[in-house]
Amino acid sequence: MSTTSATDARRTGARLVGVGIAAIVVLLVGAGALLMFTLPDANAFNARVERLFIENDTLTGQAEVKLLEILAQSGTAFSDTLASYRMVIFVLLVFATALLVAALVFLVMLVILNRRMAQIERSGIQVSSLIISREENTVYLNTMGFKLTEAMVETLAVLAEARMDDEMLSGAQIEAMISGRDAGDCEEAAGATRIKRLRDGLGNQMVSELLVKNIARRGYMLAIDKDVIEVI
Amino acid sequence: MKRILLPVFVALMLPAAARADCFVEYKAKQDSPLRLHYGISRLPGDCPGSGAAAEQLSAALARDGWTLLNVVGLSTKEPGDSKRANAGEYYLRY
Repeated sequence: MSTTSATDARRTGARLVGVGIAAIVVLLVGAGALLMFTLPDANAFNARVERLFIENDTLTGQAEVKLLEILAQSGTAFSDTLASYRMVIFVLLVFATALLVAALVFLVMLVILNRRMAQIERSGIQVSSLIISREENTVYLNTMGFKLTEAMVETLAVLAEARMDDEMLSGAQIEAMISGRDAGDCEEAAGATRIKRLRDGLGNQMVSELLVKNIARRGYMLAIDKDVIEVI
Repeated sequence: MKRILLPVFVALMLPAAARADCFVEYKAKQDSPLRLHYGISRLPGDCPGSGAAAEQLSAALARDGWTLLNVVGLSTKEPGDSKRANAGEYYLRY
């Protein structure tokens, strides 16, 4: 259950990221296009001066015509400056796009991580690594080490091997694999007893590690936040 | 011989003297960099319509890379000093 919803969350997140990135890119490309097409170019100034010259019949003196030419030239010079500004603005836009995309991705990752954290908190212990050490007769769950008897380690190893092959074992099969006899000769109850012993040994140690702690020479206490306790 | 030549000469010259030239005031430009000028041009004979004058003028201007902007006015009278000064080097150049 928890796995499915985590995958769902990831899928929704991926879709969200895609839509968000597309939105950001469209927005900034739009801004860039607007910038590109609305900034006046050199000819805008020239055309304005030309119109001024055509419309005013009094502006025919040599000095006036010269002045108009200078006006057009300074406009052209200004539009060159504008072109370099445009370049700078484009670079900034590209940076802005990259930053926004990164921010969005991180945001979505954060949301997904939060959801997964909540799911993990609800589902209790999540086993991310299981190491079985036959020499030490110890099993390591995540970072916690549990000391087991040889028989329990044997049972756990058999179960682990079956899990890796995606197989299920009956009690008789477990007994058969550990004792080395034929499965037909083994009793179901013998396997069940091995499982029970494994559960008892491992469960006892796990609960004492995670829940009912024993602090040496001081006593016992529940290893949980006191705010989460509720007695109905 | 002289007696015959003189009336002939006078007869030949008369229509030319009666036919005044047309002075066209115009504005023209060159692109990149933008250059402008105001000029006055002389077209032989009577003044045509301003459209026809513009056509003749723009052909002459185009040879030097100028574009005719507009024709300001047409006149059979010779332009005054101030207009002549305004046109400067473009007085009767095209």
